[in-house]
Amino acid sequence: MSKNRPVYEPFALEPSGRAHLVVTSLDAPPEGIEDSFDNIEVWTVKHNGPGVPVLAAGGVRPFRSTTELLAQLGHRLGRETAGLRFYAIGSEAFIWDAYNIGIVAGLHPSEISLHRAGPLVRRVYCSHCRTMIEGVPVNIVSCPSCEAALFVRDHFSRRLAAFMGVKVDAEVPGEIPAAEVFTS
Amino acid sequence: MKLSLKPQETFRDDYTFSNSDEAILRFPFPFPEDSYMYSVNMEPHVRGGASPVYNAMFDIDEHYVGDMADRAITLDQDPLRCQVLPHMETAEWDTLELLMENLANDYPEHFSLTKNDDEWHWINRPLDIDQKFTFGREETLPFGPFEYITRQVQGDFSLQDQRDNNLYMDGGMVTSQADWSLNFDVGMSFHEWHGPVPLAHESGVFDRALQYLLRMQCGKPVRRLNWTMTANPRLDTSPENYPLWGPEKAAITPENVGHRMCLRVELQTLYRLPRSNAILFSIRGYLIRLEELAKVKKWAVRMHRVIRDLHPRIAEYKGLPRYRQYVVDYFAPHDDGRVLNAGIGPEQDGI
Repeated sequence: MSKNRPVYEPFALEPSGRAHLVVTSLDAPPEGIEDSFDNIEVWTVKHNGPGVPVLAAGGVRPFRSTTELLAQLGHRLGRETAGLRFYAIGSEAFIWDAYNIGIVAGLHPSEISLHRAGPLVRRVYCSHCRTMIEGVPVNIVSCPSCEAALFVRDHFSRRLAAFMGVKVDAEVPGEIPAAEVFTS
Repeated sequence: MKLSLKPQETFRDDYTFSNSDEAILRFPFPFPEDSYMYSVNMEPHVRGGASPVYNAMFDIDEHYVGDMADRAITLDQDPLRCQVLPHMETAEWDTLELLMENLANDYPEHFSLTKNDDEWHWINRPLDIDQKFTFGREETLPFGPFEYITRQVQGDFSLQDQRDNNLYMDGGMVTSQADWSLNFDVGMSFHEWHGPVPLAHESGVFDRALQYLLRMQCGKPVRRLNWTMTANPRLDTSPENYPLWGPEKAAITPENVGHRMCLRVELQTLYRLPRSNAILFSIRGYLIRLEELAKVKKWAVRMHRVIRDLHPRIAEYKGLPRYRQYVVDYFAPHDDGRVLNAGIGPEQDGI
Protein backbone atom coordinates (compact mmCIF):
# COMPACT_ATOMS: atom_id res chain seq x y z
CA MET A 1 0.00 0.00 0.00
CA SER A 2 1.36 3.42 -0.83
CA LYS A 3 2.20 5.70 2.05
CA ASN A 4 -0.08 8.53 1.00
CA ARG A 5 -3.11 6.54 2.18
CA PRO A 6 -4.46 7.46 5.59
CA VAL A 7 -4.13 4.87 8.34
CA TYR A 8 -7.14 4.41 10.65
CA GLU A 9 -7.05 3.32 14.28
CA PRO A 10 -9.79 1.08 15.70
CA PHE A 11 -12.75 3.05 17.06
CA ALA A 12 -12.47 4.09 20.71
CA LEU A 13 -14.00 7.00 22.62
CA GLU A 14 -11.51 9.50 24.01
CA PRO A 15 -12.26 9.79 27.77
CA SER A 16 -10.80 13.31 28.03
CA GLY A 17 -13.66 14.72 25.95
CA ARG A 18 -16.25 16.99 27.60
CA ALA A 19 -18.82 15.84 25.05
CA HIS A 20 -18.83 13.39 22.15
CA LEU A 21 -20.46 13.52 18.73
CA VAL A 22 -20.32 10.29 16.73
CA VAL A 23 -21.52 10.36 13.11
CA THR A 24 -21.72 7.24 10.97
CA SER A 25 -22.80 6.45 7.42
CA LEU A 26 -24.01 3.06 8.72
CA ASP A 27 -27.50 2.41 10.08
CA ALA A 28 -26.24 1.74 13.60
CA PRO A 29 -23.32 2.92 15.72
CA PRO A 30 -20.82 0.51 17.29
CA GLU A 31 -22.74 -1.56 19.80
CA GLY A 32 -23.27 -0.09 23.27
CA ILE A 33 -21.61 3.28 22.76
CA GLU A 34 -24.80 5.25 23.62
CA ASP A 35 -24.45 3.99 27.17
CA SER A 36 -20.70 4.46 27.57
CA PHE A 37 -20.75 8.17 28.47
CA ASP A 38 -23.46 10.58 29.62
CA ASN A 39 -22.73 13.30 27.12
CA ILE A 40 -22.71 11.40 23.87
CA GLU A 41 -24.70 12.08 20.76
CA VAL A 42 -24.88 9.65 17.85
CA TRP A 43 -25.95 10.38 14.25
CA THR A 44 -26.76 7.47 11.93
CA VAL A 45 -28.22 6.93 8.46
CA LYS A 46 -31.48 5.00 8.32
CA HIS A 47 -34.95 5.50 6.87
CA ASN A 48 -38.32 3.97 7.55
CA GLY A 49 -39.76 3.39 4.08
CA PRO A 50 -39.24 5.66 1.05
CA GLY A 51 -38.45 9.16 2.28
CA VAL A 52 -39.81 8.47 5.75
CA PRO A 53 -37.55 9.42 8.65
CA VAL A 54 -36.89 7.32 11.73
CA LEU A 55 -37.52 9.30 14.89
CA ALA A 56 -34.63 10.09 17.18
CA ALA A 57 -34.54 8.05 20.36
CA GLY A 58 -32.15 7.74 23.31
CA GLY A 59 -29.42 10.03 22.01
CA VAL A 60 -29.39 8.44 18.56
CA ARG A 61 -30.53 10.64 15.70
CA PRO A 62 -31.08 8.92 12.32
CA PHE A 63 -30.86 10.79 9.00
CA ARG A 64 -32.34 9.58 5.73
CA SER A 65 -29.05 9.84 3.84
CA THR A 66 -25.41 10.72 4.38
CA THR A 67 -26.15 13.85 2.33
CA GLU A 68 -28.79 14.98 4.83
CA LEU A 69 -26.50 14.17 7.74
CA LEU A 70 -23.52 16.07 6.30
CA ALA A 71 -25.75 19.02 5.34
CA GLN A 72 -26.62 19.53 9.01
CA LEU A 73 -23.20 18.77 10.42
CA GLY A 74 -21.60 22.16 9.81
CA HIS A 75 -24.44 23.92 11.60
CA ARG A 76 -24.24 21.51 14.54
CA LEU A 77 -20.44 21.82 14.92
CA GLY A 78 -20.57 25.58 14.51
CA ARG A 79 -22.46 25.82 17.83
CA GLU A 80 -19.81 23.83 19.74
CA THR A 81 -17.20 25.14 22.12
CA ALA A 82 -13.88 23.58 23.10
CA GLY A 83 -13.85 20.09 24.56
CA LEU A 84 -15.98 18.29 21.98
CA ARG A 85 -14.55 15.08 20.54
CA PHE A 86 -15.82 14.35 17.06
CA TYR A 87 -15.83 10.85 15.53
CA ALA A 88 -16.76 9.77 12.01
CA ILE A 89 -17.31 6.11 11.16
CA GLY A 90 -18.08 4.72 7.72
CA SER A 91 -16.87 4.78 4.13
CA GLU A 92 -13.63 6.61 3.37
CA ALA A 93 -15.52 9.25 1.35
CA PHE A 94 -17.99 9.88 4.19
CA ILE A 95 -15.42 10.17 6.96
CA TRP A 96 -13.28 12.64 5.01
CA ASP A 97 -16.31 14.70 4.06
CA ALA A 98 -17.12 14.82 7.77
CA TYR A 99 -13.50 15.71 8.59
CA ASN A 100 -13.47 18.59 6.11
CA ILE A 101 -16.75 19.95 7.51
CA GLY A 102 -15.24 19.71 11.00
CA ILE A 103 -12.14 21.68 10.01
CA VAL A 104 -14.23 24.40 8.37
CA ALA A 105 -16.31 24.57 11.56
CA GLY A 106 -13.13 25.29 13.52
CA LEU A 107 -12.23 21.91 15.05
CA HIS A 108 -8.56 21.05 15.43
CA PRO A 109 -7.41 17.85 13.69
CA SER A 110 -6.56 16.38 17.12
CA GLU A 111 -10.24 16.69 18.12
CA ILE A 112 -11.37 14.52 15.21
CA SER A 113 -10.97 10.78 14.82
CA LEU A 114 -11.84 8.81 11.72
CA HIS A 115 -12.66 5.12 11.44
CA ARG A 116 -13.38 3.27 8.27
CA ALA A 117 -16.23 0.75 8.42
CA GLY A 118 -18.69 -0.94 6.11
CA PRO A 119 -18.04 -2.15 2.56
CA LEU A 120 -14.65 -1.34 0.94
CA VAL A 121 -15.92 1.16 -1.61
CA ARG A 122 -14.30 4.30 -2.97
CA ARG A 123 -15.44 7.63 -4.33
CA VAL A 124 -13.74 8.14 -7.68
CA TYR A 125 -12.99 11.48 -9.35
CA CYS A 126 -13.08 11.41 -13.13
CA SER A 127 -9.94 13.32 -14.19
CA HIS A 128 -11.48 14.08 -17.58
CA CYS A 129 -14.93 15.51 -16.84
CA ARG A 130 -14.59 15.95 -13.02
CA THR A 131 -17.63 13.90 -12.14
CA MET A 132 -17.60 12.20 -8.71
CA ILE A 133 -18.65 8.53 -8.78
CA GLU A 134 -19.82 7.16 -5.43
CA GLY A 135 -19.56 3.69 -3.91
CA VAL A 136 -17.13 2.08 -6.36
CA PRO A 137 -16.10 -1.46 -5.24
CA VAL A 138 -13.60 -2.32 -8.04
CA ASN A 139 -10.60 -0.62 -9.63
CA ILE A 140 -12.15 -0.02 -13.06
CA VAL A 141 -15.39 1.93 -13.35
CA SER A 142 -17.26 3.62 -16.16
CA CYS A 143 -17.84 7.36 -15.75
CA PRO A 144 -21.60 7.97 -15.94
CA SER A 145 -21.04 11.42 -17.46
CA CYS A 146 -18.26 11.24 -20.09
CA GLU A 147 -18.41 7.43 -20.45
CA ALA A 148 -14.67 6.89 -20.07
CA ALA A 149 -13.70 3.57 -18.48
CA LEU A 150 -11.57 4.74 -15.56
CA PHE A 151 -8.71 3.00 -13.81
CA VAL A 152 -8.73 3.97 -10.13
CA ARG A 153 -5.22 5.02 -9.17
CA ASP A 154 -4.05 4.42 -5.60
CA HIS A 155 -3.95 8.18 -5.13
CA PHE A 156 -6.32 9.69 -2.57
CA SER A 157 -7.28 13.34 -2.05
CA ARG A 158 -8.47 14.17 1.46
CA ARG A 159 -9.83 17.48 0.18
CA LEU A 160 -12.05 15.75 -2.38
CA ALA A 161 -12.38 12.59 -0.27
CA ALA A 162 -11.87 10.77 -3.55
CA PHE A 163 -9.48 8.59 -5.52
CA MET A 164 -8.18 9.61 -8.91
CA GLY A 165 -9.75 7.93 -11.95
CA VAL A 166 -8.00 8.06 -15.34
CA LYS A 167 -9.14 6.53 -18.64
CA VAL A 168 -7.83 2.98 -18.66
CA ASP A 169 -7.88 2.44 -22.43
CA ALA A 170 -6.72 5.90 -23.54
CA GLU A 171 -3.83 4.41 -25.53
CA VAL A 172 -5.72 1.60 -27.27
CA PRO A 173 -9.51 2.03 -27.02
CA GLY A 174 -11.17 -1.18 -25.84
CA GLU A 175 -8.00 -2.55 -24.22
CA ILE A 176 -9.55 -2.89 -20.75
CA PRO A 177 -8.15 -5.36 -18.19
CA ALA A 178 -10.40 -7.28 -15.79
CA ALA A 179 -11.50 -5.23 -12.80
CA GLU A 180 -10.19 -6.17 -9.35
CA VAL A 181 -12.10 -5.81 -6.09
CA PHE A 182 -10.52 -3.37 -3.61
CA THR A 183 -8.77 -5.02 -0.69
CA SER A 184 -7.87 -1.81 1.11
CA MET B 1 23.79 35.75 -21.81
CA LYS B 2 23.50 35.43 -25.59
CA LEU B 3 20.26 33.80 -26.58
CA SER B 4 18.51 33.67 -29.93
CA LEU B 5 14.86 32.72 -29.92
CA LYS B 6 13.09 30.71 -32.57
CA PRO B 7 9.93 32.05 -34.09
CA GLN B 8 6.81 30.24 -32.98
CA GLU B 9 6.89 26.43 -33.09
CA THR B 10 4.16 24.02 -32.02
CA PHE B 11 3.91 21.42 -29.26
CA ARG B 12 0.66 19.84 -30.47
CA ASP B 13 -1.13 18.94 -33.72
CA ASP B 14 1.64 19.30 -36.36
CA TYR B 15 4.50 19.32 -33.79
CA THR B 16 6.94 21.63 -35.57
CA PHE B 17 9.19 21.63 -32.46
CA SER B 18 12.83 20.74 -33.07
CA ASN B 19 16.17 21.41 -31.39
CA SER B 20 18.98 23.30 -33.07
CA ASP B 21 22.48 21.79 -32.81
CA GLU B 22 23.24 24.30 -30.05
CA ALA B 23 20.10 23.27 -28.17
CA ILE B 24 21.06 19.59 -28.47
CA LEU B 25 24.51 20.19 -27.02
CA ARG B 26 23.11 22.16 -24.05
CA PHE B 27 20.41 19.56 -23.31
CA PRO B 28 20.44 18.55 -19.62
CA PHE B 29 21.02 14.83 -20.08
CA PRO B 30 19.90 13.30 -16.77
CA PHE B 31 22.05 10.16 -16.46
CA PRO B 32 25.53 10.58 -14.96
CA GLU B 33 25.92 6.78 -14.81
CA ASP B 34 24.90 3.75 -16.86
CA SER B 35 22.02 2.86 -14.54
CA TYR B 36 19.19 4.77 -12.85
CA MET B 37 17.45 4.56 -9.47
CA TYR B 38 15.57 7.13 -7.38
CA SER B 39 17.68 9.13 -4.97
CA VAL B 40 17.67 12.48 -3.17
CA ASN B 41 20.00 13.86 -5.82
CA MET B 42 19.76 17.52 -4.82
CA GLU B 43 22.58 20.05 -5.06
CA PRO B 44 22.82 23.83 -4.58
CA HIS B 45 21.35 25.74 -7.52
CA VAL B 46 24.21 28.09 -8.25
CA ARG B 47 24.94 29.53 -11.67
CA GLY B 48 27.26 27.23 -13.62
CA GLY B 49 27.92 23.53 -13.23
CA ALA B 50 27.57 20.33 -15.18
CA SER B 51 25.07 21.67 -17.72
CA PRO B 52 24.70 25.03 -19.52
CA VAL B 53 21.05 25.13 -18.43
CA TYR B 54 22.42 25.91 -14.97
CA ASN B 55 23.95 29.18 -16.17
CA ALA B 56 20.84 31.24 -15.37
CA MET B 57 18.67 31.17 -12.25
CA PHE B 58 15.67 30.46 -14.53
CA ASP B 59 16.73 29.07 -17.89
CA ILE B 60 15.16 30.56 -21.01
CA ASP B 61 15.95 28.82 -24.29
CA GLU B 62 15.26 29.02 -28.02
CA HIS B 63 11.76 27.50 -27.59
CA TYR B 64 10.50 30.33 -25.36
CA VAL B 65 7.93 31.92 -27.67
CA GLY B 66 6.24 28.70 -28.76
CA ASP B 67 6.38 27.34 -25.23
CA MET B 68 4.48 30.33 -23.82
CA ALA B 69 1.96 30.25 -26.68
CA ASP B 70 1.23 26.60 -25.88
CA ARG B 71 0.67 27.47 -22.21
CA ALA B 72 -1.81 30.16 -23.24
CA ILE B 73 -3.75 27.63 -25.35
CA THR B 74 -3.92 25.16 -22.46
CA LEU B 75 -5.06 27.85 -20.00
CA ASP B 76 -7.68 29.04 -22.45
CA GLN B 77 -9.12 25.52 -22.57
CA ASP B 78 -8.77 24.86 -18.82
CA PRO B 79 -8.18 27.87 -16.54
CA LEU B 80 -7.92 25.55 -13.51
CA ARG B 81 -4.41 24.57 -14.62
CA CYS B 82 -3.45 27.65 -12.62
CA GLN B 83 -4.79 27.75 -9.06
CA VAL B 84 -3.54 29.47 -5.93
CA LEU B 85 -5.30 29.16 -2.58
CA PRO B 86 -6.27 32.51 -1.03
CA HIS B 87 -3.77 32.41 1.87
CA MET B 88 -0.86 32.32 -0.64
CA GLU B 89 -1.15 35.89 -1.87
CA THR B 90 2.17 36.97 -0.34
CA ALA B 91 3.87 33.99 -1.98
CA GLU B 92 2.41 35.11 -5.32
CA TRP B 93 4.17 38.47 -5.07
CA ASP B 94 7.35 36.78 -3.85
CA THR B 95 7.28 34.65 -7.00
CA LEU B 96 6.71 37.59 -9.29
CA GLU B 97 9.64 39.47 -7.78
CA LEU B 98 12.01 36.49 -7.89
CA LEU B 99 11.22 35.72 -11.53
CA MET B 100 11.28 39.29 -12.82
CA GLU B 101 14.52 40.18 -11.06
CA ASN B 102 16.35 37.08 -12.25
CA LEU B 103 15.10 37.24 -15.84
CA ALA B 104 16.10 40.92 -16.09
CA ASN B 105 19.48 40.10 -14.56
CA ASP B 106 20.25 37.00 -16.68
CA TYR B 107 18.76 38.18 -20.00
CA PRO B 108 18.93 41.99 -20.11
CA GLU B 109 18.49 42.09 -23.89
CA HIS B 110 15.09 40.40 -23.56
CA PHE B 111 13.68 41.50 -20.18
CA SER B 112 13.93 44.60 -18.06
CA LEU B 113 12.60 45.62 -14.66
CA THR B 114 12.61 49.16 -13.28
CA LYS B 115 11.49 49.87 -9.71
CA ASN B 116 10.50 53.18 -8.19
CA ASP B 117 9.38 52.19 -4.70
CA ASP B 118 6.26 50.10 -5.36
CA GLU B 119 5.79 51.43 -8.89
CA TRP B 120 7.33 48.78 -11.15
CA HIS B 121 7.87 48.72 -14.89
CA TRP B 122 8.30 45.33 -16.58
CA ILE B 123 9.29 44.85 -20.20
CA ASN B 124 9.25 41.44 -21.91
CA ARG B 125 10.46 42.04 -25.45
CA PRO B 126 10.01 38.51 -26.94
CA LEU B 127 6.32 38.51 -25.95
CA ASP B 128 5.90 42.24 -26.66
CA ILE B 129 4.77 43.07 -23.12
CA ASP B 130 5.24 46.49 -21.52
CA GLN B 131 3.55 46.61 -18.10
CA LYS B 132 3.54 49.29 -15.41
CA PHE B 133 2.02 48.16 -12.12
CA THR B 134 2.06 48.67 -8.38
CA PHE B 135 3.80 45.92 -6.42
CA GLY B 136 1.34 44.42 -3.92
CA ARG B 137 -1.74 45.70 -5.76
CA GLU B 138 -3.29 42.83 -7.71
CA GLU B 139 -5.80 45.09 -9.50
CA THR B 140 -2.92 46.78 -11.39
CA LEU B 141 -2.13 43.53 -13.30
CA PRO B 142 -4.26 41.72 -15.89
CA PHE B 143 -3.99 38.42 -13.92
CA GLY B 144 -3.12 37.51 -10.35
CA PRO B 145 0.63 38.11 -9.80
CA PHE B 146 1.53 34.40 -9.85
CA GLU B 147 -0.43 33.67 -13.02
CA TYR B 148 0.79 36.91 -14.62
CA ILE B 149 4.48 36.07 -14.32
CA THR B 150 4.28 32.29 -14.82
CA ARG B 151 2.54 32.90 -18.16
CA GLN B 152 5.90 34.42 -19.15
CA VAL B 153 8.41 31.88 -17.79
CA GLN B 154 9.06 28.41 -19.20
CA GLY B 155 8.36 25.43 -16.97
CA ASP B 156 5.61 24.51 -14.53
CA PHE B 157 5.53 26.00 -11.04
CA SER B 158 4.03 25.02 -7.75
CA LEU B 159 3.81 26.91 -4.46
CA GLN B 160 4.35 25.06 -1.19
CA ASP B 161 3.13 26.47 2.11
CA GLN B 162 5.15 25.34 5.13
CA ARG B 163 3.20 24.53 8.31
CA ASP B 164 2.86 21.70 10.86
CA ASN B 165 6.38 20.52 9.91
CA ASN B 166 5.15 19.68 6.40
CA LEU B 167 4.78 21.21 2.95
CA TYR B 168 1.38 21.71 1.31
CA MET B 169 0.95 22.29 -2.39
CA ASP B 170 -1.30 25.32 -2.14
CA GLY B 171 -0.89 26.70 -5.62
CA GLY B 172 0.54 26.09 -9.05
CA MET B 173 0.78 26.76 -12.78
CA VAL B 174 0.82 23.34 -14.39
CA THR B 175 0.42 23.06 -18.17
CA SER B 176 3.31 20.78 -19.17
CA GLN B 177 3.19 18.05 -16.56
CA ALA B 178 4.23 14.41 -16.67
CA ASP B 179 0.76 13.01 -15.99
CA TRP B 180 -0.19 14.65 -12.69
CA SER B 181 -3.09 16.93 -11.95
CA LEU B 182 -2.90 20.20 -10.03
CA ASN B 183 -6.68 20.25 -9.69
CA PHE B 184 -6.52 16.88 -7.92
CA ASP B 185 -3.36 17.51 -5.90
CA VAL B 186 -3.91 21.11 -4.77
CA GLY B 187 -3.86 21.34 -0.96
CA MET B 188 -2.06 18.00 -0.50
CA SER B 189 0.83 17.39 1.89
CA PHE B 190 4.25 16.30 0.60
CA HIS B 191 3.71 12.55 1.02
CA GLU B 192 0.17 12.74 -0.31
CA TRP B 193 1.08 14.28 -3.64
CA HIS B 194 3.98 11.85 -4.07
CA GLY B 195 1.70 8.91 -3.21
CA PRO B 196 1.67 7.23 -6.62
CA VAL B 197 5.48 7.11 -7.00
CA PRO B 198 6.68 3.49 -6.55
CA LEU B 199 9.70 2.29 -4.53
CA ALA B 200 10.78 5.68 -3.24
CA HIS B 201 8.41 5.68 -0.23
CA GLU B 202 9.72 2.37 1.05
CA SER B 203 13.34 3.46 0.78
CA GLY B 204 12.66 6.64 2.77
CA VAL B 205 13.54 8.99 -0.09
CA PHE B 206 10.52 11.22 0.55
CA ASP B 207 11.06 11.38 4.31
CA ARG B 208 14.62 12.56 3.75
CA ALA B 209 13.69 14.94 0.95
CA LEU B 210 10.99 16.57 3.09
CA GLN B 211 13.36 17.08 6.01
CA TYR B 212 15.88 18.64 3.64
CA LEU B 213 13.32 21.01 2.12
CA LEU B 214 11.84 22.12 5.44
CA ARG B 215 15.28 23.50 6.34
CA MET B 216 15.83 25.30 3.04
CA GLN B 217 17.01 28.87 3.42
CA CYS B 218 16.19 32.00 1.47
CA GLY B 219 18.84 32.78 -1.15
CA LYS B 220 20.08 29.19 -1.24
CA PRO B 221 18.02 27.43 -3.93
CA VAL B 222 18.59 23.76 -4.76
CA ARG B 223 18.11 21.65 -7.89
CA ARG B 224 17.83 18.14 -9.23
CA LEU B 225 17.05 16.49 -12.57
CA ASN B 226 14.16 14.13 -13.20
CA TRP B 227 13.05 12.51 -16.43
CA THR B 228 10.42 10.58 -18.34
CA MET B 229 9.62 9.90 -21.98
CA THR B 230 6.88 11.46 -24.10
CA ALA B 231 5.46 10.43 -27.46
CA ASN B 232 5.82 13.53 -29.66
CA PRO B 233 7.11 16.83 -28.26
CA ARG B 234 3.86 17.50 -26.37
CA LEU B 235 3.90 19.75 -23.34
CA ASP B 236 0.36 19.05 -22.17
CA THR B 237 0.66 15.42 -21.05
CA SER B 238 -1.92 15.92 -18.31
CA PRO B 239 -4.23 13.25 -16.90
CA GLU B 240 -7.12 15.50 -17.96
CA ASN B 241 -6.13 15.17 -21.62
CA TYR B 242 -4.79 11.60 -21.55
CA PRO B 243 -7.58 10.57 -23.98
CA LEU B 244 -5.90 12.97 -26.46
CA TRP B 245 -2.25 11.99 -26.03
CA GLY B 246 -2.69 8.32 -25.08
CA PRO B 247 -3.31 7.23 -28.71
CA GLU B 248 -0.07 8.97 -29.74
CA LYS B 249 1.86 6.64 -27.42
CA ALA B 250 0.21 3.62 -29.00
CA ALA B 251 1.17 4.90 -32.46
CA ILE B 252 4.90 4.56 -31.72
CA THR B 253 6.54 1.91 -33.93
CA PRO B 254 10.13 0.76 -34.40
CA GLU B 255 10.16 2.85 -37.59
CA ASN B 256 9.02 6.16 -36.08
CA VAL B 257 10.41 5.86 -32.55
CA GLY B 258 13.54 7.91 -33.33
CA HIS B 259 11.59 10.85 -34.70
CA ARG B 260 8.50 10.88 -32.51
CA MET B 261 9.69 9.64 -29.13
CA CYS B 262 11.21 12.28 -26.87
CA LEU B 263 13.26 12.14 -23.72
CA ARG B 264 11.65 14.63 -21.36
CA VAL B 265 13.94 16.01 -18.66
CA GLU B 266 12.83 18.18 -15.78
CA LEU B 267 15.24 20.62 -14.20
CA GLN B 268 13.59 20.93 -10.81
CA THR B 269 14.64 23.92 -8.74
CA LEU B 270 13.37 25.02 -5.33
CA TYR B 271 13.49 28.48 -3.81
CA ARG B 272 12.60 29.64 -0.30
CA LEU B 273 10.56 32.83 -0.69
CA PRO B 274 11.43 35.82 1.52
CA ARG B 275 8.13 37.27 2.78
CA SER B 276 5.83 34.24 2.81
CA ASN B 277 8.39 31.58 3.84
CA ALA B 278 6.75 29.43 1.16
CA ILE B 279 8.77 27.34 -1.30
CA LEU B 280 8.56 27.92 -5.04
CA PHE B 281 9.10 24.75 -7.05
CA SER B 282 10.03 25.17 -10.70
CA ILE B 283 9.69 22.14 -12.96
CA ARG B 284 11.44 23.24 -16.14
CA GLY B 285 10.92 20.68 -18.88
CA TYR B 286 13.23 19.99 -21.82
CA LEU B 287 12.28 17.83 -24.79
CA ILE B 288 14.61 16.12 -27.22
CA ARG B 289 13.70 13.70 -29.99
CA LEU B 290 15.63 10.44 -29.77
CA GLU B 291 17.09 11.09 -33.26
CA GLU B 292 18.45 14.39 -31.92
CA LEU B 293 19.82 12.72 -28.78
CA ALA B 294 21.54 10.09 -30.93
CA LYS B 295 23.74 12.81 -32.42
CA VAL B 296 25.69 12.81 -29.15
CA LYS B 297 27.64 9.55 -28.96
CA LYS B 298 28.03 9.36 -25.19
CA TRP B 299 24.34 9.97 -24.60
CA ALA B 300 23.22 7.42 -27.19
CA VAL B 301 25.37 4.70 -25.61
CA ARG B 302 24.22 5.56 -22.12
CA MET B 303 20.53 5.75 -23.08
CA HIS B 304 20.78 2.20 -24.38
CA ARG B 305 22.13 0.92 -21.07
CA VAL B 306 19.84 2.90 -18.78
CA ILE B 307 16.59 2.06 -20.55
CA ARG B 308 17.58 -1.57 -21.06
CA ASP B 309 18.35 -2.08 -17.35
CA LEU B 310 15.60 0.08 -15.84
CA HIS B 311 13.68 -1.35 -12.85
CA PRO B 312 10.33 -2.64 -14.20
CA ARG B 313 8.25 -0.70 -11.65
CA ILE B 314 9.94 2.56 -12.55
CA ALA B 315 9.40 1.81 -16.23
CA GLU B 316 5.74 1.16 -15.51
CA TYR B 317 5.28 4.34 -13.46
CA LYS B 318 6.84 6.39 -16.22
CA GLY B 319 4.54 4.78 -18.79
CA LEU B 320 7.38 3.15 -20.77
CA PRO B 321 6.48 -0.53 -21.19
CA ARG B 322 4.55 -0.12 -24.45
CA TYR B 323 7.59 1.18 -26.35
CA ARG B 324 10.54 0.47 -24.08
CA GLN B 325 11.93 -2.29 -26.31
CA TYR B 326 11.74 -0.01 -29.38
CA VAL B 327 13.85 2.55 -27.54
CA VAL B 328 16.40 -0.07 -26.49
CA ASP B 329 16.58 -1.42 -30.04
CA TYR B 330 16.92 2.10 -31.44
CA PHE B 331 20.00 2.83 -29.36
CA ALA B 332 21.54 -0.67 -29.36
CA PRO B 333 23.53 -0.16 -32.59
CA HIS B 334 25.17 2.90 -31.00
CA ASP B 335 26.45 0.92 -28.01
CA ASP B 336 29.86 -0.49 -28.93
CA GLY B 337 30.58 -1.55 -25.34
CA ARG B 338 32.88 1.36 -24.65
CA VAL B 339 33.46 2.52 -21.07
CA LEU B 340 31.79 5.90 -20.47
CA ASN B 341 32.99 8.63 -18.18
CA ALA B 342 30.73 9.51 -15.26
CA GLY B 343 28.84 12.80 -15.65
CA ILE B 344 26.18 14.26 -17.89
CA GLY B 345 28.18 16.42 -20.30
CA PRO B 346 28.12 15.57 -24.05
CA GLU B 347 31.94 15.41 -24.31
CA GLN B 348 31.85 16.69 -27.88
CA ASP B 349 31.98 20.24 -29.22
CA GLY B 350 29.80 19.95 -32.30
CA ILE B 351 27.17 17.79 -33.95
